[in-house]
Amino acid sequence: MNILKTPLRKSILTALAALVLPFGVQAAADNAKDMHQLFEDNCASCHGSDHGGFLAPALNSETLKGRSPTALRSLIMTGSFDTLMPPFYGRLTDDQIRGLVSHLQTTPKLANPSWTIDDIKKSIKVYVSDESTLPDKPTYAIDSMDDVIGVAARGKYGRGSGSKAVFINSTTHKQIGEIPTGTAAHIIDYNPANPRWAYIKTDTAEIFKVDLYSMQAVRSVKTGYNGPGLGVSRDGKYIMAGSFVPHNAVILDADTLEPLKTFELEGIDPDGKMVSSDSGMVIGTPFDDIFAIALENAGQVWVVDLKEGFPVTKITDVGRHLHDAFLSHGGRKLMIASYDDSIVAAIDLKERKIIKKLEAGCVPHVGGGSAVEVDGRTLGFGTNFGDCDKTVVSVWDLDKMEVVKQIPVAGGTESPAAHANAPYVAVDIISKDRRARTVQLIDKKSLEVVKTLDVGGHAYFPEYSADGKFLYVSAGYSGDEVVVYDSTSLQKVASVSMESPAGIFSHGRVRYMTRGLSPDEATAPANAPRLRPVGEMKGAK
Amino acid sequence: MKLTLVTASLLLGLASTSSVNAASIYAGQAKAAAVCSQCHGIKNPSAEAPFPPLAGRDADYLKTALKQYRDKTRQSDIMNAIAGSLSDDDISNVATYYARLKP
Ligand code: HEC
Ligand code: HEC
Repeated sequence: MNILKTPLRKSILTALAALVLPFGVQAAADNAKDMHQLFEDNCASCHGSDHGGFLAPALNSETLKGRSPTALRSLIMTGSFDTLMPPFYGRLTDDQIRGLVSHLQTTPKLANPSWTIDDIKKSIKVYVSDESTLPDKPTYAIDSMDDVIGVAARGKYGRGSGSKAVFINSTTHKQIGEIPTGTAAHIIDYNPANPRWAYIKTDTAEIFKVDLYSMQAVRSVKTGYNGPGLGVSRDGKYIMAGSFVPHNAVILDADTLEPLKTFELEGIDPDGKMVSSDSGMVIGTPFDDIFAIALENAGQVWVVDLKEGFPVTKITDVGRHLHDAFLSHGGRKLMIASYDDSIVAAIDLKERKIIKKLEAGCVPHVGGGSAVEVDGRTLGFGTNFGDCDKTVVSVWDLDKMEVVKQIPVAGGTESPAAHANAPYVAVDIISKDRRARTVQLIDKKSLEVVKTLDVGGHAYFPEYSADGKFLYVSAGYSGDEVVVYDSTSLQKVASVSMESPAGIFSHGRVRYMTRGLSPDEATAPANAPRLRPVGEMKGAK
Repeated sequence: MKLTLVTASLLLGLASTSSVNAASIYAGQAKAAAVCSQCHGIKNPSAEAPFPPLAGRDADYLKTALKQYRDKTRQSDIMNAIAGSLSDDDISNVATYYARLKP
């Protein structure tokens, strides 16, 4: 069925490449500073402020060496079909595009730019100065705040009026509010101690503190240039944010967004080299007053105690190129993915050591992860990009920490969704062809794929409503809608329009900690006091 | 996207009462999703972009416009290049597909 696509696309691209030739001959004499600003204002949120890549490839003199400037100009003009790369035709002039290409082809990856605790402090914006003026209950009809679902709408250009967090009542599928975020919203997390607060983090590392009752942002802070890592502590008092650019992390007061301490992310990697590192996932846990943060390149997980001085315990040699993670067993066990070793490492957050490394398909990206109880066992589900022959979803027994099954699926996957009350675990197929339109459903008991849904767009980030009755999926890229299915009949029941939707985050996660666990998992963990939990990293790529 | 494989049977039903059939709508959909939506979106173009919307527009208008772009009686560097590689069938399929969508 994808026969049409390739030849047509090719002929169109050839036609367009020819098209850029006749334009103005003098290269723009714009200086590097202007071009850097143009890059910052249009490209850096996806490609990384240091030209080192973020959710899109690195663009610098090394990566673009030997590439035809004409082909690059035509790509920038039309965008790259079936990806997040938008068409800049009509938004930038031919001279600007020309100038950008020569700038990119001559600029090396930049040194890690600094963004200090003072920069963070100065970036705080206050939109509602007196929070006592806010309403004390939701200004819209909703039975429980658990029913709120937040969607990170990227906007086609990763910035502008289409970039916002959209909140939906997941029992009626009607939008209840939206928060403009300037650049693409990436992660939404909820405060475990007070249901009114949500935190939105953007591609450009701003965090918005949002009052869900009145559906408005009350404060924001810029924690870096790029990077999606965000976690909230179990008591709701602290936020931790981690960046790709620069290589640091910060603990903020969850109330005022004032920075309390920054951390330089560096350490000795599993190959014995001292490296400066991107931040991977940041997570709070109902198990303890701690944050865990992954140092992607250093292959380490740091556990930060939320007490005087915020001391750090470093767990080393976890795996090469760490990324995202999920919790199990009352939040005591952390399952973290290593892209380059193709394993998921299980970490005991009490002992602060590695329990075991489990096979995880290839290039595992666990998204928010999922865990379900089946016949007395807790099974974890892990997705992976599958950049090899093996496209499987891994299932682990999280009690014994062993691989139960590797379920063959149609392609690479990026995020699994499960719910205690829903029969299927949904995984998004992301392979770059028609399969990207689909989501596959795995029967929890038989552990087989039983159904494929054709959602449209680039279908990704499935999420169940808090009651488990509905499955939400983003029809991303140009799909421009969130599609809602009945979780059992798998019939489409609703659609909500927005520009380039991506990650979907149910407020119910606060109660079940990891998607698929019992709704009270987080409120009664084995050896921890009664409390509620926390978020995770999802949607980073 | 409104028209999915799942609804193909429904479309086959429609085919008897109208001149289009499921295969051509499907072809139109595939083309639109693969190429045109990059700029025009499926339901709507980006609010941030200079591209006209196509969903729900009159099919004949869309066909005429595309043919004019193809033979360059209507000038647009970008659309002249794109329409240049479309056949009559492509134009008819994609116009029918977009015309049937609700924006
Ligand atoms: C919304 C996110 C986003 C924005 C904004 C964006 N890009 Fe991209 N870009 C991408 C993605 C994703 C890819 C990879 C496309 C693919 O895989 O074909 C890409 C690919 C590219 C490539 C090809 C890289 C290669 O190695 O083949 C170039 C060149 C490029 N972008 C330039 C730009 C420029 C210049 C800007 C700003 C004017 C920009 N991009 C803005 C997402 C973005
Ligand atoms: C790279 C961006 C781009 C792509 C891809 C693209 N278009 Fe266009 N399209 C444009 C622009 C820009 C215009 C406005 C041109 C003008 O000023 O006449 C336009 C105009 C049109 C119009 C005229 C609309 C009107 O209101 O008169 C039609 C019809 C159209 N395009 C159809 C298509 C179809 C069908 C495809 C896919 C085969 C497609 N376009 C792909 C950029 C694009």
